[in-house]
Amino acid sequence: MQEIWDIIGNFFETTVFTYGAILLVSYALLAVCSLIAVRRWVTMDRFQDGEVLLTSPLAPGISVIAPAYNEGMTIIYNVRSLLTLKYARYEIIVVNDGSTDDSMDQLIKEFHLVAVDFAYNAKIQTRPVKKIYKSTNPAYAKLTIIDKVNGKSKADAVNAGINAAAYDYFVCTDVDCILHENTIIELVKPVMKEKNKRVIATGATLRAANSNTFDQGVMVGVRAPSQLIPRFQEVEYIRAFVLGKMGWTLLNCVPNVSGGLGLFDKEIAIRCGGYDHTSFGEDMELMTRMVRYARDNRIDYAIRYIPKTLCWTEVPSTLAVFGRQRTRWARGLAQLMHAHFGMFLRPRYGKFGLIVFPYNFFFELLAPIIEFGGIIYYIIAIIMGWINWPTALVLLVFVYSYAIMITTLAILYDQITFRYYNSWRDVVLLCLMPFMEFFLYHPLIVFFSLRGYYFFLTGKKAGWGNMQRRGFQVAPNR
Amino acid sequence: MNFSPLDFLESIFFEFRYAPLIIQIAIIFVFVAIGMTLLAYASILRRRFRGFRRDTKITQLNEQIDDLLIENVLSQDPEAVETPGQTAEAAAAAFQLKPFDTRWGRQVLIDRLINYRNNVRGTMGDEIRTLYLLLELDKDSFKKLKSRKWNRKVRALNELSSMEIGVADVIILPLTNSRNRELRAAARQAYIKLSKNEPFKFFDLATEPLLQWDQVELFRIITTTPHIAIPNFAQWITYSTNKSVVSFCLKLVIHYHQLKAIPAVMKLLDTKDHLLRAEAINCLGKMKIADAEEKLVYIYNNQPLDCQIEILKALGRIGSGRHTEFLRQEFMLSTDFELRKNAAKSIINNQSADSSIVDELMATASPENKLILKHCMNPLIKF
Repeated sequence: MQEIWDIIGNFFETTVFTYGAILLVSYALLAVCSLIAVRRWVTMDRFQDGEVLLTSPLAPGISVIAPAYNEGMTIIYNVRSLLTLKYARYEIIVVNDGSTDDSMDQLIKEFHLVAVDFAYNAKIQTRPVKKIYKSTNPAYAKLTIIDKVNGKSKADAVNAGINAAAYDYFVCTDVDCILHENTIIELVKPVMKEKNKRVIATGATLRAANSNTFDQGVMVGVRAPSQLIPRFQEVEYIRAFVLGKMGWTLLNCVPNVSGGLGLFDKEIAIRCGGYDHTSFGEDMELMTRMVRYARDNRIDYAIRYIPKTLCWTEVPSTLAVFGRQRTRWARGLAQLMHAHFGMFLRPRYGKFGLIVFPYNFFFELLAPIIEFGGIIYYIIAIIMGWINWPTALVLLVFVYSYAIMITTLAILYDQITFRYYNSWRDVVLLCLMPFMEFFLYHPLIVFFSLRGYYFFLTGKKAGWGNMQRRGFQVAPNR
Repeated sequence: MNFSPLDFLESIFFEFRYAPLIIQIAIIFVFVAIGMTLLAYASILRRRFRGFRRDTKITQLNEQIDDLLIENVLSQDPEAVETPGQTAEAAAAAFQLKPFDTRWGRQVLIDRLINYRNNVRGTMGDEIRTLYLLLELDKDSFKKLKSRKWNRKVRALNELSSMEIGVADVIILPLTNSRNRELRAAARQAYIKLSKNEPFKFFDLATEPLLQWDQVELFRIITTTPHIAIPNFAQWITYSTNKSVVSFCLKLVIHYHQLKAIPAVMKLLDTKDHLLRAEAINCLGKMKIADAEEKLVYIYNNQPLDCQIEILKALGRIGSGRHTEFLRQEFMLSTDFELRKNAAKSIINNQSADSSIVDELMATASPENKLILKHCMNPLIKF
């Protein structure tokens, strides 16, 4: 028995220690890369007047696809918000994925919709489309509504939107997301400015909209979330997007463009089969397949991210909904790793196979398992009296201070990009989060990740992953 | 018990010195992390404070500039001005204020004047330009142009082109091929706007591609700059080895409806690059060149899908009605959905020549083809 404990002890003291050290070094490298990328973007952005795309006949056409399922509470505001987007050539496709509430009736009434004979070409297989609607009001000429049979996944709904899309690029978002009015302009810029590579996807930062105020679907006030769980997520989003993805974009190694907001090359998305409706992490799965397709067909691709927040979304505010979301994401990650393990360390897949995939495997998929194992070992070591307390405390303080540093740097980079919050109070609240994250938020993430892996291994059934909306705060009449 | 702080530090140092290497590294990193975190806080604090102060100062200064401009330039009656620049001369004296002695204040003034000039045309616009010159702000811009930093150069080029201050070709032309994308783009735009003789000369020299973004910006500059001498774009369509220049010229040919460039566009139908060929077909269609129809139909079967779609669209745009039978065949027999859809659209565009064809197709087509026809005929559906 003692021998087994010695082996486990050795494993944690050598292998896991090295693993942790590499993880911390990669965070540090990402922080450096991110700083370079953010500063570069800020400098360049000063000289690029996006307004030129408001009227130019040379602007590439963009289809904005927003799937909706039982969003009756906010759907009218959400569609109105999409209609305020500024760009020369775009259309908005809202896909009602068989909602059981009155979403469709509300849309028909509000936007004067009539069913049209639309030549729908199912390039990607989806559940049947019942009807396609257009507005008789010229003010809503850009709007198309697809009413389809519920496909039990966001992927199926977006695929129907891709099939109906008229333009070469599509922006995928959730109908409940509030987009910045210049979202299309900002997302299409990296595509138009790329010299040699084909930009297959562009993403931007997402942020929690829980405490923001809105007027007729237009955001009029930005505040940091007042509740603890959304505020933790806000900080996590800043770290993941501004520090993580911006760091990766410098190396052209972006692993994923968020499902909340992303611009994609329609041709490549269709050629690789669109979103996988069986996947729980359909955004990351599509990205992986698009990269795989590009590499297999010798397309010199690029995936870009911008640090500017263009999308505000209502993040889960209760533990139950948050848990469901994170379990789903973890399950999606496990599914993805399993489905595409052939890319792991394969030089054929370039940086994606040699850097992105191994990083995701070791530091995203395995991290919760190793962490959980470490905690169990730690507890046993405490009980058995094997702990060298001064050493253990030094290491704990080290990890704690390092985690705070990384998150604080992310908040700093975010402030470099744009001062989203006018109030000092909001910034102070965000800066306090890293101190609590380690003890309160992070253990939850580990727990829900492990639950997701368990569901993946046992094949537990799950649906659309819909979260209960609470609606946004409406600005008082002025 | 006597235990001084010095003893305490000594004991910590002793512990550190004899601790394992890993622990020593960890302790050092703890201090590094704390230091970096504090530095990040200080930076956030500094950025926010400076940003807030800068915004306040800019707002105040802009208000002051607005008042001065309204009082001394914009409210003056243009009819009452006897000689050009008279208003600006009087206004220049009013701008001799302390805030405009600093580099920062002068930059705010330049930005504000450019903002006004972009929104005010005619005599008032000229007065603002004269004011810019009288206040010797052009010297600031030229100083920036000599800077080694690319971003200052870009700023200078934007300022000079906005104020239409001539810059020698020998200074701008080398910058139009700069390795820095932003500088290259700014130089090209400035050159088009400022060069009096040959604004498109850099097309001959362009070795770097015109990116899509560059094309959009150049297109705006070219199409909105008054009194620009528009050349025959055929010369670049025929001779340029830079494909992006050829592609851009095709778009300009469409915009200026330059019929004299059509023979050059027709020759482009034989190019091996199918993307350029598709753009040439698109150009012929949008220019409604009926003479091109025969050749387009002739080459149709040997083309890749993108060119075939462009040919079908072109036949619809030209709308002569001479090839409705070809369109009908494509609509009925093609296996590709996009080809059928574009053929249907073009048939409907050719309806004026043969109104019975749509009725005939509606009576005989398959359910899917009927749906395509209805789709194309519905005015609510654009694409």
